[in-house]
This record gives sequence, C-alpha cells and structure tokens, in this order.
Amino acid sequence: MANSIVALRAYRDGLHLIIKPHLSITEIEKAIQEEISRMNRPLNGASIQIDLKAPTLQEEEMAYLRSKLKETYNLTVREFMVASEEPAPPPIAAAPTTHIITQAVNPPDSRESEPSRIIPYTIRSGQTEDFPQGSLIIYGDVNSGAEVRAGGDIVVLGALRGNAHAGMNGRLSSVIIAMNLVPMQLQISNYLNRIPIGEKSRGYPEIARIGKEDVIIVERFVKF
Amino acid sequence: MGRVIVVTSGKGGVGKTTSTANLGTALALLGKTVVVVDADVGLRNLDIVMGLESRIVYTSMDVIDKQCELSKALVRDRRVDGLTLLAASQKNNKDDIQPAQMKAICDKLRSTHDFVLVDSPAGIERGFSNASAGADEAIVVTTPDVSAIRDADRIIGLLQHARIEPINLVLNRFSPELVGNGSMMDQADVMDILNIDLLGIVPEDTGVITSTNRGIPLVYEETSAGAQAYMRIARRLTGQQIPIPDLEQKGLFTSILNWFTRKS
Repeated sequence: MANSIVALRAYRDGLHLIIKPHLSITEIEKAIQEEISRMNRPLNGASIQIDLKAPTLQEEEMAYLRSKLKETYNLTVREFMVASEEPAPPPIAAAPTTHIITQAVNPPDSRESEPSRIIPYTIRSGQTEDFPQGSLIIYGDVNSGAEVRAGGDIVVLGALRGNAHAGMNGRLSSVIIAMNLVPMQLQISNYLNRIPIGEKSRGYPEIARIGKEDVIIVERFVKF
Repeated sequence: MGRVIVVTSGKGGVGKTTSTANLGTALALLGKTVVVVDADVGLRNLDIVMGLESRIVYTSMDVIDKQCELSKALVRDRRVDGLTLLAASQKNNKDDIQPAQMKAICDKLRSTHDFVLVDSPAGIERGFSNASAGADEAIVVTTPDVSAIRDADRIIGLLQHARIEPINLVLNRFSPELVGNGSMMDQADVMDILNIDLLGIVPEDTGVITSTNRGIPLVYEETSAGAQAYMRIARRLTGQQIPIPDLEQKGLFTSILNWFTRKS
C-alpha cells in the first residue's frame, strides 16, 4: 500500500515500519492496526525499526508508540530512524512468508565449486527446468505457468513470470535474480513467497533472498 | 509442393475456426489453391463457418477407413475458385484417428494444393497432435487476455518441441478502445511474453457473429475491418510485405500518461 499512512516493509536488515509525516498519533495508531491486521501471520516477537520523516514525532509520542507496539502486538522497536529525504531506491515489500523455520540447517556456501546449467531459450507455460546439482542461468524468460527449480541460485536474464524455487536442497543463501522480477511464486529453500497481486515490473533487475526476519525480501539488484 | 499450416491456440473460443475459414477464403481469393481441413473430430464447426455443412458427404474418417478416395471427400466451395474443405467426422472422436493417418492425408493434399490449412481443436491432447502431425508451419491464434496468452505460450512450447516452424501469431479480437483505457493488454505486452513473429492483428468485429451464422466468411464483406485484416494476413502468408497497421490509436492524454509511466 504505497499511499497508506504506515507501511510494513521487509528489508535486508529486518522489518521496517515506515510512517508518513504530518500525522497525529491517533491516525498513526489506527493505520498501524490496519496494516498489521492485513498480515497473514502474527508478527509476534519480531523487532522492527521505525522510519520517520521530518517533521518527526515528539519524544513522548515515540515512547507511547514503543510501549503500545510492545503490549498490543509484542513488537520490539529497535530504533527510530529519522530520514532526511526519500530513501532510495525503495526495496519492494515482500509479504511475510507463510511459514517460518526456526532451526534451518544452512549448508556451506558452495557457489564457486558448484556446476551451473545454462538454458539458452525461453521457458514457456507448462515447461519445467530442474537442476538440483547447482544453479540455473536462463537466457530468456520464464513465462507464467512455467517452473524452474535449482539446488543453487536462479538467474533469469529476462522476465521471471512463472514460479522459481532456488536452494531446493535447503541452501538458505540461495538467491533468485531476474532482469524483470514479476513471478507468481518465489521459493528459496523452504520459504515461500508471492508477489502481491497486480504488482507491476519496476523496470530494473531485482534480487530475492532470505532476509534477517525470515522472510523472502526483494530488492534492486546492484551487485552481489 | 504446398505448405501445410496448422491453425491452433490451446484455448478454445479465440477464433481458430473463424481464422481458418477466413484465411482459406482469402488465400483462394488471391488465386491460390487451398484446402481447409477440419481436425476437430467429433466437434466439427469449420463446415458451418464456411457455409458448406449441407454438402458434406464424406469426411476424413471415411478416407482413413478407405470408404472413399481423398479427392472425393473434398467439398468444393462454389463461391471462389480453388477452395475446398475436408470435413471431420461428427460421429467419431479424436482417438479414432492416428497422427500418422493425418500426416498421410496432409502429405497427399500438399501435392495438389498451394495451402493446406488444418483447423486444430482446442486443447493439447490427441486432437492437437493429430492436427499438427502433418504440419510444417503453425499459426497460433490468441486474444489479448491472460488466459489465452498462457495457453498460447503452452502451445508454442509444444510446437517448438515438435520442431514445427515458423510459428506465427495472429492476435485476434483486438480492441483499441480497451487497450486505450488500460483494460486490455497491448500489442507490445503480448509480443513480449510470446516472443514469436506477428503475422497480423484482427480487430474486434461484431460482423464475425453474423458471418458465422450465415456461413459466409467475413472476407467477402470487403469493407469490414476484420475482413481487411484477414486479407492482409493472407497476403503476408503468400510472402508479400504488408506493414501491420497501428491499431492502437491512443488519445493525447494516454500518450502523455504512457510517456510518464512507461516501463524501461
């Protein structure tokens, strides 16, 4: 919800609650309640960072918000950050995962020694490509209705519109990179995510990976 | 040797049969010898759209069962020279024909015709494999909606797997108004997903309904936009270079809006 008063976003360093400026504390409180009720899993125990823009809230308002979030939603506020200007580039929010694995075994990162397979064409609806031994690199699109699965990473040098599952053997450090990331579903190891319906292409390459708060996050791909 | 072209789509109701009838007629009007083959065994329609249903005596099933000669089963369209129809049996179903038998029929037909257009049934099962068995090229018909596009994408994958090429696209029932107000996928979006050559765009034309009911292919209605589109496609099939007109007459406001919101 880009236009809402508050927005919960998953970034690489964890969950952020972004609050628009020029609002009363009651408006903010109501908006937080709406935003959290939209979530499909409780955020119990998570720690969040609150991003504010000038003119910021009063000290006592911040304290009130901190205690309110703790007692109502059991959310711990890590810190209040006051941004001087628009944060750029805005990473795309990923809805929280449908389930959480608390004790995941993370095999050592073996990217360099692993084989990878190149698919020099577009994968169309109904077609699948599986490569449990390593990473998949696709010189084309993965269309809606198509599925790609890899033991390692998945790199799509076109549009990813179908389903992709990286780290299918459990490697949590696996990533999915696409020039145009508009998938039906993304899966990394046992984490599943889908892009909100109606999400349009951002027009730049993006990377999906598992972030700190056990959710798949999607952000602009600049370098690895 | 003539060309055997399968007209297919995956999804039903997008205009395969209408396109086959109109392209067949249009090619005949351009002086080619054409046979349109209905491969939709058990659910035949092409004869109705062509207005030839009352004249069918034998079908491809009778040819396969050696009840009659292939040439006797071809129904001649009296409105234009060089156009014939090979009907499908309505009594049988798709499993009663083998792909090899269809291929044999297509191979025979291509020796006596410039174009053999095979109207494929919807679906990706036996009916589709029968229809595409004898084809060396394909025309994929789709409408600009997501479900038709996904099915077209699936069919293109299967055609490529069967090494049928070229595969050309006909974008049917295209509505510039709906594209203009943002409720229909535009040409660029469709081409971006399907990534095959565009043979032509047929605008949404209600004349298709009356033409189907009367059994007179739209191409005889020279003033209709749909007829002109099919004539252009037929000319392109014969190798003529005809540019695809820009049907997306965008208003000034949308153009400006698109300028700001366009994807890079």
